[in-house]
Amino acid sequence: MPTNAILINGSQGEGGGQILRSSLALALVTGQSVQIEGIRAGRDKPGLMRQHLTAVRAAVEIGQAEVDGDEIGSQSIRFQPQAIKPGDYKFSVGTAGSATLVLQTVLPALMIAEQPSELILEGGTHNPWSPPYDFLEHAYFPLLRKMGANVTAGLEQYGFYPAGGGRFSVAITPAAELRGLQLEKRGEILQRSATALVANLSRRIAQREIDTAADKLNWAPNCLHVQEVNNSAGPGNIVMIELHSENVREVFTGFGRPGVKAEHVANNAVKQVRDYLATDAPVGPYLADQLLLPLGIAAWKDKQRSQFRTLPLSRHSITHIRILQQLLGIPISVEKEGGVCTVIIGSN
Amino acid sequence: MKQVVFGLLGTRLDRGSAKTDRWQSWRPTVALCQHEDLLIDRFELLYEPKIADLSNTVAEDIRSISPETDVRLHEVHFRDPWDLEEVYSKLHEFMGNYSFRPEQEKYLANITTGTHVQQICMFLLAESRHLPGQLLQASPPKRKQPGEGTYKVIDLDLSRYDQLAARFALEQQESLSFLKSGIETKNTAFNQLIERIEKVAIHSQAPMLITGPTGAGKSQLARRVYELKQQRRQLDGKFVEVNCATLRGDQATSALFGHVKGAFTGATGAREGLLRAAEGGMLFLDEIGELGLDEQAMLLRAIEEKRFLPVGGDSETGSDFQLIAGTNRDLQSDVQEGRFREDLLSRINLWTFRLPGLAERREDISPNLDYELTQFSATTGSVVRLNKEARTRFLRFAESEQATWQANFRDLNAAITRMATLAAGGRISVELVDEEIERLSQQWKSNDNSNSSSLRELQGVVDAQELDRFDQVALSEVIRVCKASSTLSQAGRKLFAISRLSKAKPNDADRLRKYLARFSLSWDQLQ
Repeated sequence: MPTNAILINGSQGEGGGQILRSSLALALVTGQSVQIEGIRAGRDKPGLMRQHLTAVRAAVEIGQAEVDGDEIGSQSIRFQPQAIKPGDYKFSVGTAGSATLVLQTVLPALMIAEQPSELILEGGTHNPWSPPYDFLEHAYFPLLRKMGANVTAGLEQYGFYPAGGGRFSVAITPAAELRGLQLEKRGEILQRSATALVANLSRRIAQREIDTAADKLNWAPNCLHVQEVNNSAGPGNIVMIELHSENVREVFTGFGRPGVKAEHVANNAVKQVRDYLATDAPVGPYLADQLLLPLGIAAWKDKQRSQFRTLPLSRHSITHIRILQQLLGIPISVEKEGGVCTVIIGSN
Repeated sequence: MKQVVFGLLGTRLDRGSAKTDRWQSWRPTVALCQHEDLLIDRFELLYEPKIADLSNTVAEDIRSISPETDVRLHEVHFRDPWDLEEVYSKLHEFMGNYSFRPEQEKYLANITTGTHVQQICMFLLAESRHLPGQLLQASPPKRKQPGEGTYKVIDLDLSRYDQLAARFALEQQESLSFLKSGIETKNTAFNQLIERIEKVAIHSQAPMLITGPTGAGKSQLARRVYELKQQRRQLDGKFVEVNCATLRGDQATSALFGHVKGAFTGATGAREGLLRAAEGGMLFLDEIGELGLDEQAMLLRAIEEKRFLPVGGDSETGSDFQLIAGTNRDLQSDVQEGRFREDLLSRINLWTFRLPGLAERREDISPNLDYELTQFSATTGSVVRLNKEARTRFLRFAESEQATWQANFRDLNAAITRMATLAAGGRISVELVDEEIERLSQQWKSNDNSNSSSLRELQGVVDAQELDRFDQVALSEVIRVCKASSTLSQAGRKLFAISRLSKAKPNDADRLRKYLARFSLSWDQLQ
């Protein structure tokens, strides 16, 4: 039994499942044992919920780990990885929980493994409070490829709350060495598109959304799309707005919910775009949060220094940075200037 | 531990609304598998053949929403899902055939779906541990919002609910106190006995046998047991009490079992009989050992089959009553001597309670004293008090070995009644207490010597303790006759009235003088 597990306070900062997932991801990457206490301590239903448990079990499988406390409601787990085992895996999340969050837990380790892997992930693909599939495919994975890891994905079936049942695959060819990223400028916007998507719901909803977005964004009609999909277990609706710039691609999403007007869903996505366009920072808030982990690993493993400019950091990201500092022992600095933050990961 | 849920597929609720996509309706069986904090490893889903299509949809949806859950479908056909007997027996059979592994698996019975009768049966099976788990109740989300709503696990182990447990403890306390007529008895053995009787009274309908000396309170206890059962709505008939010693011969049979009109000379009308009168209620047969063998046989049949034949009748009648028998005899030895039927005894002594005499529980005299005083006040309407000194004096005697309490509570009740009646101004004085102590002592002393009151004649004349019982009886009669005669000769003539006839020279006076001399008595002493 490896003894000195690193103790992590699961209730720090925003105190959610993110601390658990990032800690597990970094434990897999470093081979370090972790003991996480106070998991989701302040929540209505504290401790591990089903989607967290799925993430824990996925990490156990990938890392051939030993684990204590992996049960519903547990606020404390001890995780001891042995060795990363790349290969073919399938992970299913219940309760329409986000399959992308499970991916987030195991992806970093597989990006630096000895062999390629192929994952099939089932559950929710487009959930609020977690990166939607399209964001991963169009915004996040291209940057991972830039870092040297060839990560590609394909969506088979949409999974919306509450029915879930989505399915996508991810192929990972690891990088022997990761490169850092320098994302200072957005560059020119090359392409724009706004898509309102409905599954098992009336097309009119999507039309109203796209009308609203068109009205607010004032974009050319060929940038606006209404999409009806039938590869979905249950009903669902999202508005996705994509900006493809010279140095970065960004995806902003509004989620339709019963009782929420279509116009409101569209406006929500439009507001994120406007906030993003209000500065010249290339990295939006969600992408910033996702980049911290791989850039941190590049700094720790391959002494790569990265730097990106983004909008003010969320509480979520600040917590995330603390976990990276604690588990990787790398310097991360954040400089604020006006409405833009410069995040520097690693040192020269 | 794996989590296993049993549930019936809901014909209506699990289908969801036809108007919208089914995922927008709250469907309890699917919703249970959508909770973030409830991981169901296996769902044993029972469905009716007519909704087989729905069972497949629901199973499919559960697989999508809850890949961790293994859904197992079981087809069960209910001819009438509102028929308690049918539903219970089918579910009972299902659970009976299921191999439960409570060491590795936890079980929940979903009572959200199915008819109310089906839900009740699930409840009953969980309660009787045929389904060794807890109940699961799902509720829809508020204001028709989509989503999984809420769920509640209900544990039927009442002892885990403090408030309920406290309430039941209080209720039990109340029934114990009720059985003791509110008397705060202190005797441990007696209190344990009452606790046991309370349990049996509430949980059993079997006959009870109360033994114990006369006056120990058998009859009162029987009545209290009846009233307790009546309070708990276990009985709605009457309390019928009879002392079997008062029943003799044909009259006994007819009193107990009734007779038809013209059954015997004088039977001008039909008589219902005590067993019929106790229908739905309780029959207390005191002194059951005094019952004749014929009546014992009839009673046995009446207890076992609830049927009996009235005197002169040619068709049986029935009565469903609960029986308490009382006795102060040793029925076991009566059985050996052939005076009591063994089969009847074994039928009535499943629950035998021996009430101790008052002398065996002297610490209870004080609370009983208060009780008797209160009772006296209640019946007469005048309050009677015992001052501290008088009370101490009475109790010192009552609790001592001197007080034998031969007739137990009857003696205590009589003593209090006498003192209370004689109490001037409602206050029992020390003098009254002394007088009563003297009266009780005398009563018990003479009873000790013999059971005949004629022995009083010996008092103040000879020391009866020094005499054989043979002599006690003879001498007391001799003294009585002497006192009633004016001369020695007259007394002699009366005493030897038979034997003197066969004597040529009867010398009655001399015979009497010599007899008295044997006890150092003279004629003059007796005048």
